Formats: sequence, C-alpha cells, structure tokens
Amino acid sequence: MAVDFGGVKMKNPINTASGTFGYGWQFSELMDVSQLGAITTKGCAAEPWPGNPAPRMAEVPGGMMNSVGLQNPGVAAFAEQSGPWLADLTAKGTQVICQVAGHSTEEYVRALEMFAELCPWAAGYEINVSCPNIAAGGAACGSTPEGASEVMRACRKVTDKPLFVKMAPVRIPEIARALEAEGADGLTVINSIPGMSIDVRTRRSRLSKPTGGLSGPLCHPIAVRMVWEASKAVDIPICGVGGVMTGEDAAEFILAGACCVSVGMASFVDPDASVRILRELEAWAESQGVKDINELIGAFEC
Amino acid sequence: MPNPSPARMHDFEVISNEKIADGIFSLVISAPRLAFALKPGQFVNIRVPGDTSELLRLPLSYVASDPERGTVEIWYAVVGKGTQRMSEWGRGFTSDLLGPGGHGWRVPEGARRVLVVGGGIGVPPVLCLARELAAAGIAVDACVGSASASKLVGVEDFEALAAGEVRVATDDGTAGLHGFCTEPAAELLSSREYDYVATCGPGVMMSKVAASAIEAGVYCEASLERMMSCGFGACSTCNVETTDGMQGACMCGPVFDASKVVVW
Repeated sequence: MAVDFGGVKMKNPINTASGTFGYGWQFSELMDVSQLGAITTKGCAAEPWPGNPAPRMAEVPGGMMNSVGLQNPGVAAFAEQSGPWLADLTAKGTQVICQVAGHSTEEYVRALEMFAELCPWAAGYEINVSCPNIAAGGAACGSTPEGASEVMRACRKVTDKPLFVKMAPVRIPEIARALEAEGADGLTVINSIPGMSIDVRTRRSRLSKPTGGLSGPLCHPIAVRMVWEASKAVDIPICGVGGVMTGEDAAEFILAGACCVSVGMASFVDPDASVRILRELEAWAESQGVKDINELIGAFEC
Repeated sequence: MPNPSPARMHDFEVISNEKIADGIFSLVISAPRLAFALKPGQFVNIRVPGDTSELLRLPLSYVASDPERGTVEIWYAVVGKGTQRMSEWGRGFTSDLLGPGGHGWRVPEGARRVLVVGGGIGVPPVLCLARELAAAGIAVDACVGSASASKLVGVEDFEALAAGEVRVATDDGTAGLHGFCTEPAAELLSSREYDYVATCGPGVMMSKVAASAIEAGVYCEASLERMMSCGFGACSTCNVETTDGMQGACMCGPVFDASKVVVW
C-alpha cells in the first residue's frame, strides 16, 4: 500500500486533511494515529492568529460550513507544544506534513523559515494558498495562476523538502500547471468550497461572516472531478481531499489520479474513521486483484 | 503537549426516553464506564443515526449519572431534526457517544453556600451540580426559569434536595414570578453571602447573572453552548471569545469563568 507523495514516503495512501485533525495528538487517546501513512497538521503562521468570531460552524445537509479563519498558536508555540509528539509519530513511520499559513508571500516565507528551523521532524510542508476564510476581498491568493505561482516561487527558495500546495477549487488545470512549473512537489486538491448559509428567520449568515468553507461528502464528486482534471494537467502527484467517508470514496480519488487521500470531516463524526477507511481501501485494492496500490492510481476508464 | 480530551467512545443502550415537559425529554442510557467518569458540567457528544445528510454528533449536557447502576440521564429539548429523531428512540435502541467532554464546574474549596441559576434547557447541568453539592452538605439556592410553565423542568428536583431556597420565574407568568430568573438571582446575590454561582441558559441570561455575581463579588462560572464539530479539541469551531483569547468550548469549557467571557 506504500506510495510516494512527492518525496514523502507513505506506508499507505491515507493522510488527514489539515484543519480536521488538529496537531494529531488530539486523537492519540481515540485511535492509533501511527497506522496512517501521513497526517497533515492544522495550518500555522509565523505569528499566532485568533481566528474568526463565533459562530464558526453551521451544519448543512450532507456536510458542514466553517469560518474558523485558521486560528493557530504560531509556528513557535506549535513546535514547542506539539513537536515532541509529532517527532515520536514520525519515528513510528507516519509522516508529518505541516501546513503553512499566511496572508502574503512574505508571511508564507517567514512561517516556512520557522518550520524549517523548528520542525526538523517534518517530512514536508503544505502551503495553504486557498483558505476561503482569510482572503482579502473574497479571493484567496491561490485563486489565480499568478498569485499561486508567486507564493510557490518564494517558498521554493526556503527549503529542499517536499512542498505541496493546497489548491482552491477554481481554475484547477492552469493553476496546477503553474505550480508544477514553480517546483511544487505535489498538489492537495481541494480546499473547502466557498459557500453561504443564511438563517431566513433572522436574515443573518449562520456563520459570523457572510461566507464560509463548505466541506463534507456533498463536496466529494466535485473534488473527484478536480483531482481528475489536475492529474491530466500535471505529472506531480496529487492528494485527493473532499468528503471521504468510506474506503470506496478514497478509491474514487485513487482512480481519478490521486496518489494519496486525506480524510477530513469523517474524523469529526468518528475519530478513528481514517483507520477504518484505510482498512476498507486495502480491501478494495485486494478486490481489484492488484499487488500494489500504485497500479490503481489514475486507473479510471471512461 | 497539552492534555488530549478526556472523551472516549462509549456504546450505549436506551433504558427509557420520556417526555417531561413541553418539547423536553428525559433520556436514560446504560453506559457503565461513562457513568463512572462523568463530572457535573461535562458533556457528551451523541451519534443520532437515521439521516445520512446529518452527520455531526449532538453535544448535550447530562443531568445525572449513577455509577452503581451504570446509567446516565440526559434532558434534551426537541429543537431540530436530530433531537426529533432522538425523541423517537425506544428502550433497547443502541448508538454511541464520545464523552465525557471538557471540564466541569470548579466550585471553590470550602464553599458553604452556592447559587445555581438555570434557564430553559440550561437547567440540567446546574441541577446535576446542585445534587452533588447538596449530598456534600453544602447549601444550594436555585433560580429556575423558562418561557412558560409547560416548559419548566427541574423545580421539584431542586425542592426535593431541601438544600436551600428555590425561586421560579417564567417569561409569561404562568408559574412563579412573571419575568426572568435573573431577577430573583440578583435579589439573592444582593441579600445573601455566596461562595460560588453556577449558571447555564441563554447567553443574555448568563451575562446578567454574571454581572450580578461580579457586583456582589462572588466567583461565577457559566456553561456556554456553541456549535461543535468534533467535541474533542481538533476542529477549532466551538470558540468562545474570552479575555484570555479565543478558547474552544469543548476543551477550555464548556464551563468558563464568567468574568472572562467577552461574547456570550
């Protein structure tokens, strides 16, 4: 079941979606995190961020909306509080990918420099250029090829470790090609989808902001389509994210061209969902009669 | 690293599920390890199966736990589709929950007289505390409020404790004082010496109780409600704005030092 996600050697294709798995240790008493191929930690910036006011979450049919706004303690506090546990997880064979947050290219670079210095156990980094809840003027900097390229180009100079980009669910083929050209080692497809939910009695948003990020199983078919589009556009590996609740959902991403799959909202419902999904994915691979999961990546037939 | 949540997964079976007031039900479940672990003020995050379009668990307070019988009692109001499905659960129904979540009430050591103020479906966590305090010989006065007499819960339970005075208020005047339970609470706080105040209910109510307690110089804690996704500290969605910054209700609460709450 081992896969190579842009230089991050994963013992199996199951990863966790940043922002849904805390810093890993939150799950330590509820499941065996070391069964997973990798985890992606919640985004951290150079300085602590308070995040958005409450309410930050609204459940919608088939999913949820959030406007957390990347609340985080900053890279230094993250490394101090969570570093030892994450280093131990790495020693057990589960790779740790740290998500990097920022409002500007300078902030991404500064945060990445701090990660490189303070988190030597990290296997790679995921640059989050697509958080729908922090964007100025409603558009994340990763929503254009130019904006995404600028961040990637600057971050590439900071580290030789694997660098991934969490993509906004827009203009996938062209932005994917731009990021590949700037040296991205892989792409995480997709971030939550900007959405709105209005309480018609009060006429107010059900979140503290007008819009939020939509996630959960209702996003899954959209995410599968975007993974497929990305896989046709670039040669670098892709991590599929969006509403994976079962091993079959994960298998769809693999067939569409993803080399690994992140579990998100399912971990809120069942903390150990990622391990169950891994077992189901293994059973599916076996049922397909292959010895190596890599044989199934992009094996979708039209 | 900081401590992970004390919550663990527990399977449970429904023992009984009865209507106790207009739109309010009492659910008694068998969950032996949970009954042993729960402390007043903590919560459980319940899976309510039956609709695949509603995935997240429902975080609910509890009103009583009996470690000897292995049971936990939860009072809940039917406010949406999830609690509507819960109200249809019969004896023998099984599901699972994550609990106990967060931390409970932190009554100061040596407290001799405590005031609890509960509004609407905020009564269970303060009744739970009052029972524990009364059993320890601590005097407990209670102010209980609701929209109407038909929605009032817990009054007889507080009276049965015989641990202190019980004051009732309803918005429409159909039981007790015509008005809000914040009024008798303010009156008691200005006329008696308390060592601690515990409150749970609508935000506006709790903020008024907190203001009265602060004016009287009494330490007050409030149990806050927020939309939760995970309930064990992983998602950062149940935030409460405090003077110490944004804090998750599932880990830093649900019980907060009322003097530190900025946004109710």
